[in-house]
Amino acid sequence: MLVTVERLTKTYGNFTAVDDVSFVVPAGEIAGLVGPNGAGKTTIIHIMLGLIAPNAGTVRLFGRDLEKDREPILQRLNFTSPYMAFPVRLTVLENLTVFAGIYNVRHPAAKIIELLERFGIGRLKNKPISRLSSGETTRVGLCKAFLNDPELLLLDEPTAYLDFQAALQVRDVLRDLQRSRGTTILYTSHNMHEVQRMCDRIIFLDHGKIITTGTPIEVTREILNEDRDAPALDEVFIRIAGRQPDEAVSN
Amino acid sequence: MKPYRIRAVILRHVYEVRRNANHITYMVYWPIVNIVVWGFFTLYLRHGDRLEPGILSCLLGAVILWGLFNAFQRDMAVGFLEELWSRNLVSLFASPLSVSEYVTGLISVTFAKALVGLIVESLIAWLFYHYNIFPMLPTFIPFILNLALFALTMGIVVTGLIFRYTTKFQAMAWSFAGILMPLSCVFYPLRSLPAFLRPAAWILPTTHCFEGMREAIERGGFSGLHFRWGLGLNLIYFIAAVFFFRVMFESARSRGLLVKME
Repeated sequence: MLVTVERLTKTYGNFTAVDDVSFVVPAGEIAGLVGPNGAGKTTIIHIMLGLIAPNAGTVRLFGRDLEKDREPILQRLNFTSPYMAFPVRLTVLENLTVFAGIYNVRHPAAKIIELLERFGIGRLKNKPISRLSSGETTRVGLCKAFLNDPELLLLDEPTAYLDFQAALQVRDVLRDLQRSRGTTILYTSHNMHEVQRMCDRIIFLDHGKIITTGTPIEVTREILNEDRDAPALDEVFIRIAGRQPDEAVSN
Repeated sequence: MKPYRIRAVILRHVYEVRRNANHITYMVYWPIVNIVVWGFFTLYLRHGDRLEPGILSCLLGAVILWGLFNAFQRDMAVGFLEELWSRNLVSLFASPLSVSEYVTGLISVTFAKALVGLIVESLIAWLFYHYNIFPMLPTFIPFILNLALFALTMGIVVTGLIFRYTTKFQAMAWSFAGILMPLSCVFYPLRSLPAFLRPAAWILPTTHCFEGMREAIERGGFSGLHFRWGLGLNLIYFIAAVFFFRVMFESARSRGLLVKME
């Protein structure tokens, strides 16, 4: 397994953000980590990046323990989120050059130009980040995420600030890159249609706990308790989001 | 530590210096204002033969060396604050970049910037106030290195505090050196302090740097005693600062503050 998360728990005082969560992601899979606000998705991603220390549990990536082998693990993966940012005075090219340096990318200039063109923002390379729209900055983040040809990509709501057409374009690019390189992707999103289209498997979280895992159709049938022919994750989402915390725990 | 990652951090801060006029203000403008004001003051004192030339040299030497110490400590903390203000921390620390690589890159840029300030002040003092620090530099260099090491130590402490307490402590970036100034005997000898304050002053490496500088100017010799005391104290404080930083960083990581810093 490329990702093995075992009995992960994170608490802040009396609040439990992640509660005894375990899951695996095999190589080459696109797994969706979904759930309502406060479900613990982003906290799990941040723990998997070593940005937050868990209270209990382990994260093994590429068969290695994250706490012991942080640097070689992080060299092989990458991450983006619309909520992270870049130094605003630096241009797109300068920001990506810095990250290309950190990841020791060979032929960084060519790589950066290729990615900028692929995500449709080649014309912005000499613009400072401060002059970009949120959607354009999101795409710069995606370029950063692909700089090191990651074997594992953690995408936290990667299309949150994108309009419909841009989101569609980004999804196509992600799919293409995933197919051509076999990248494993862990994907969080509130857009259930997007998750349905993108993900091979869903890990549904609520109040820090895993409610269910499976393919979109399996999750739909289990949560709605109906024999559906097509996945309906938006209905699943509404059902789960409407539950009280004690109901989520009992599940 | 991987040199290419340190190079990337240096590049990041060099780009920032090129794009952000505040850095030019810190690097050149304030050192010029500082030395011009103190230079006029020494001219005033010199006119009426109010003071011995040695004391005037001590004053200008102290202004230049304190400028270096202050700039080094401030720029290191501000360099880190820039990552925080631009919300770049998550991207940096979600990469293979280690904290020690980041700090090493930041120190390299900060040292270069502080040297620019030192050279600007020294040239102005030489050209306009007839104070030539350059012949004294070989004697001063050990004390300058001690000052730089202590400034680095203070920078690590302030950065650790910012990691743990976020921007609540950002004012320390500009004010921490000032807190140490009264006891560092920058402009006056240690013996002029009240007796009860002297032990506290003695345990500051800065005091030994400025005492050593005065001895070099007044007697023309190198004070091995003050250098050794300064270096010994520096090593103790540096090790303690690295330990303190680790505790603050791990505490911030445990509390999830790295991803919430603003």
